[in-house]
Amino acid sequence: MTSLSDLLREKVLLLDGGMGTQIFARKPTVEDYGGAALEGCVDLLTERRPQWIREIHEGYFRAGADAVETNTFGANPLVLGEFGLADRARALNVQAASLAKEVARSFDRPRFVLGSVGPGTKLITLGHVAYADLLASYRVQMDGLLEGGVDALLIETCQDLGQIKVAVRAAKEAMAAAKRRVPLWVQATVETTGTLLVGSEIGAVLASVEPLGLDVLGLNCATGPDEMHAHLQTLAEASPFHLSCLPNAGLPLNVDGQVAYPLGPEAFAGKVLHAASEFGLAIVGGCCGTTPDHIRALAPGVERLSPPRREPRLERSAASLYQAVTLRQEPAPLIVGERTNANGSKKFRDLLAAEDWDGLVGIAREQQREGAHLLDLCVAYVGRDEVRDMDALLSRLVTQVTPPLMIDSTEVPVLERALQLAPGKCVVNSINFEDGEDKARRILELCRTYGAAVVALTIDEHGMARTRGEKLAVARRLHALAVGEYGLDPGDLILDPLTFTLGSGDEAFRGSAVETLEAIRLIKAELPGVRTLLGVSNVSFGLNPAARHVLNALTLYHAVQHGLDLAIFNSSKVIPVAKIDPEDRRIVEDLIFDRRSEGYDPLKAILARFSDRKAALAEDRRADLPVLERLHRDILDGEKQAILADVDEALRDHDPLRLINEVLLGAMKVVGDRFGAGEMQLPFVLESAEAMKAAIRRIEPRLPKEADYQKGRILLATVKGDVHDIGKNLVDIILSNNGFEVRNLGIKQPIEAILKALADWPADAIGLPGLLVKSTVVMKENLTFMEEQGHRIPVILGGAALTRDYVEGDCRRAYPGPVFYAEDAFEGLRQMQAIVSGEPMPVPAPAAGAAGGIKILHRGGAAVPLTEAGQSSWVRHDDAPPEPPFWGVRELAEEVAGLFEFLDEFALIRNRWGFSQGSLDDAAFAAVLREKAEPQLAAWKARLAAEPLVVPRARYGYFPVRAAGDALRVFDPSDPDRPLASIPFPRQAAGRRLCIADFFRADRTDVLALQLVTLGQSAADHAKRLYEAHAYADYFAFHGLATELTEAYAERIHARIRRELGLAAKDLPGRALFAQGYQGSRYSFGYPACPDLHGNAAILDLLQGQAIGITLTETFQMDPEYATSALVAWHPQARYFST
Amino acid sequence: MSVKVHFLLEDLLVEAPAGTPLQRIADAAGADITFGCRTGSCGTCRVRVTEGLGHCGEPGPEERDFLAGLGAPPDQRLACQVVVQGDVAIEYLGL
Repeated sequence: MTSLSDLLREKVLLLDGGMGTQIFARKPTVEDYGGAALEGCVDLLTERRPQWIREIHEGYFRAGADAVETNTFGANPLVLGEFGLADRARALNVQAASLAKEVARSFDRPRFVLGSVGPGTKLITLGHVAYADLLASYRVQMDGLLEGGVDALLIETCQDLGQIKVAVRAAKEAMAAAKRRVPLWVQATVETTGTLLVGSEIGAVLASVEPLGLDVLGLNCATGPDEMHAHLQTLAEASPFHLSCLPNAGLPLNVDGQVAYPLGPEAFAGKVLHAASEFGLAIVGGCCGTTPDHIRALAPGVERLSPPRREPRLERSAASLYQAVTLRQEPAPLIVGERTNANGSKKFRDLLAAEDWDGLVGIAREQQREGAHLLDLCVAYVGRDEVRDMDALLSRLVTQVTPPLMIDSTEVPVLERALQLAPGKCVVNSINFEDGEDKARRILELCRTYGAAVVALTIDEHGMARTRGEKLAVARRLHALAVGEYGLDPGDLILDPLTFTLGSGDEAFRGSAVETLEAIRLIKAELPGVRTLLGVSNVSFGLNPAARHVLNALTLYHAVQHGLDLAIFNSSKVIPVAKIDPEDRRIVEDLIFDRRSEGYDPLKAILARFSDRKAALAEDRRADLPVLERLHRDILDGEKQAILADVDEALRDHDPLRLINEVLLGAMKVVGDRFGAGEMQLPFVLESAEAMKAAIRRIEPRLPKEADYQKGRILLATVKGDVHDIGKNLVDIILSNNGFEVRNLGIKQPIEAILKALADWPADAIGLPGLLVKSTVVMKENLTFMEEQGHRIPVILGGAALTRDYVEGDCRRAYPGPVFYAEDAFEGLRQMQAIVSGEPMPVPAPAAGAAGGIKILHRGGAAVPLTEAGQSSWVRHDDAPPEPPFWGVRELAEEVAGLFEFLDEFALIRNRWGFSQGSLDDAAFAAVLREKAEPQLAAWKARLAAEPLVVPRARYGYFPVRAAGDALRVFDPSDPDRPLASIPFPRQAAGRRLCIADFFRADRTDVLALQLVTLGQSAADHAKRLYEAHAYADYFAFHGLATELTEAYAERIHARIRRELGLAAKDLPGRALFAQGYQGSRYSFGYPACPDLHGNAAILDLLQGQAIGITLTETFQMDPEYATSALVAWHPQARYFST
Repeated sequence: MSVKVHFLLEDLLVEAPAGTPLQRIADAAGADITFGCRTGSCGTCRVRVTEGLGHCGEPGPEERDFLAGLGAPPDQRLACQVVVQGDVAIEYLGL
């Protein structure tokens, strides 16, 4: 007889649609339920109204479903207990399963019954129900379903990662007890927020259930098919299980107080079939709002699908409630935070003794902030109940931190309790063979039951392995047990070769660091796929802190070079290797590698060299300085924490106003001078501004009421039609932290609004920034309007498209008041200082070779003639247009990590982030890149991968097109005679006389690719939050990164288009790709070849940009920010040009 | 002192004061060179200097890094970074 698993190999499986939808369509009455107290107990209708349930199953089978779900969504003792029916649970499950099986058997070809297990009404992760109670409740239901004869157990509509793991365990135990193995199936419900109800990303779900071994993992409920794409994509790429998808009939709408679903059968079927082929779905069906008609509409299309072939690649991870973190980090190592450990941290121990649970959680969050990828958690404390403490802490911690947990205990009951409470995939720390294999076996059994990775120490019955050979031998034995016998994936086995201190001078341990480093290399080579871990700070016990820091840093560095994957250390105390003094490095490396010679012992050299040195040199030297000097340094170094204590100390003896005016503003002036001289990079300037802000806030309450340290006021607004915020905000940051009061009116400000604000808040000047070419025109119009209104207030203009000539010429002529051009925020600051002081304005030196000196001597060859069709004859149409793989529009979603490949890091770091060499020499600038820019980029990448700050989505498509003179006529993909749009383009007046339309055929149908990408509203929101929190440096960094990531996404889609059109062979490798290293060109409106932003309207319209949340402002810019559109020409001569 | 800049693509010959940035000359004369970021990090304005490479000023470290990243030969420059000190002939490469 065919089994469900057999059928899955043969075809894509079609399931039924909504059960509740069908039941409620029958309008059950109080009588149907058997009394008012039982009203709403749908699971009871199997017994009360079996004919209804039978009809519903029959209806779906007749519509073409291969399998139906039992009416047992809530049929477990916990849910039924709310109706006083807990003891009926088993019987109801048996009955529902038998009834459905009976219906299935009445059909000829193989039909199946899935035992439906819903999420229940209590969230275990939030502490609504105890682990044992939930497990027992599910066990009753699973037992009943198996007894009734279901063909699979379907744990569905899962909203809580913790609940999934309990239900899976109950299912496995029930199958073991019934001695019957049926496919085990989990479907999660991803809300419109992009996570499960409790906040888990689908990646965290996958990482957590994967070790448990399922047959099917999929999605159902909450949204329609379209909203599931990103999550289906994640599963399609990584899940080793069959993929199922049972969406609602669209996002529910509220129509006259009734829930309604927008997708009819045909529309629903089209979207589900599209998802099936796009993502390789093995199983499709419907959830809320779907009916037998929806399933009937799906059936013919599903019959035509072949069983999908996917090649999933799962990167092994640990997971918290919220996110998965891969155990292999780039750059290595993965950092395990060591301070949530009662053995390692006195502070943690003291808070534990005081039962200050919030304080303990605080330490965990602090490590999270410092960049720990995993938190090692140990609550072992002599004299305390470790199980109870683990329970108390973990139940608070799991919802409050995002890194996954490493559960550190030697006690099996403590480990088990922790694995029950922590919803994701934990790492157990640890197993060893110190007392033989028995305990290791018990712990590995737990890892298997709860789906955990494990740390294994190279310790056996003889103690800690010392030589590389011994370490490898124990590692092999650990591997044989964990992987060979307990079936752990090698990627979940983390071997710790341990190290001894080099600080004791004990001859027996002189070579222990070398042995450990070599053991790491051997383990990685001999046991493929395993990970390695080292508690780095053990290497330096017994030495003074200064020496320890250097030794720890270098040991870590070499361990990573030897292949170390994970390291336990305090990330806030690691000194970058590049910052270590070369002589320190030499002798410490001699110690690590045990390089001794006649009369030279590196350990003695270290003891002598570090004897009077304290850790964190800079800190101590700083402490010796007078407080005012320290404040000055705090500003220059951007020390926004340290400055607070220094401010407090300074306020004891110094006048607050004097502190601001002389010390702090003086230091900011030095910052500005250094920036101007090219000695200081913009990101450092912003850190100084943050420190300034922190200091001012600290001082302000101490200022006498009438005191006014502010020198003047300026109104700032980005001009009408311009959405660009960053330039204006930089000016705000620099001016407001240099003693000026700034009122920032925001973006897109019409001049009327600016002048109204001025009437309410008299200022010394108005600052009008704007990025667009169009904005330069608006600025001049504003000045004309102000002139007419009789204003004479000084105006400062700035922005990328503006030139000094234009401001000092055209703009000054338009307005009788003072008009200034500010090249950057600091020039704006100098102008403000001059304006309020009444001093004459520093006149900038005229730029070398003003336009006047330029003269055309000779212009050769006449302009290229146009063809009869009105196109440039320079463009040849030798090749036939390529054939696109489809006509029309598709939507894509992308994990942010997929954009990093296309990120132009050069442009990001040098241009967006402002790391320019200025007057620094090559070595100094290389150090800035290495120590500041590159780590900053790595940290942001890790953060974006871990937190949904950007949500990349795209739409792109192929349209039939014909050139008509200076325009492109775009046709309907489904009806190539029906014109949809005509997009006009400018033509060069001379020379090649190019126009974008020329790269498309006028004599036949050609192909136009359009694309639209966005990082989502969340990206714009995050930038705003950072700015409002005065996190200037982060704001600026995020903005720059998001801008370049938008470009990266556009680049990625463009690469896809070239691949699909068969042009990818011309792609150049590496950075050259970013400089048009490919065939054809990608044109965006607003750039030289097509400067008019109106064209965006056509692209948005054709691609239905609103589907990914993109709209246009009244000036045709895209909203939210971090979105870009383009049209792609395939023609080999299509390149950038200016009109 | 004035210098001559010959834009080869359209046979355009321009005179300008020595020390003028090439992008200013190209803009003023309407030469067929497309500029992107104008800050030396996008590569849109890449040109070959076929004559007078020595009159273009030394490339700064960032332009050097950028061109090295593209594997460009030494006669290529980013037009937005060039300051013209003597007669030069320029071929635009973005075609």
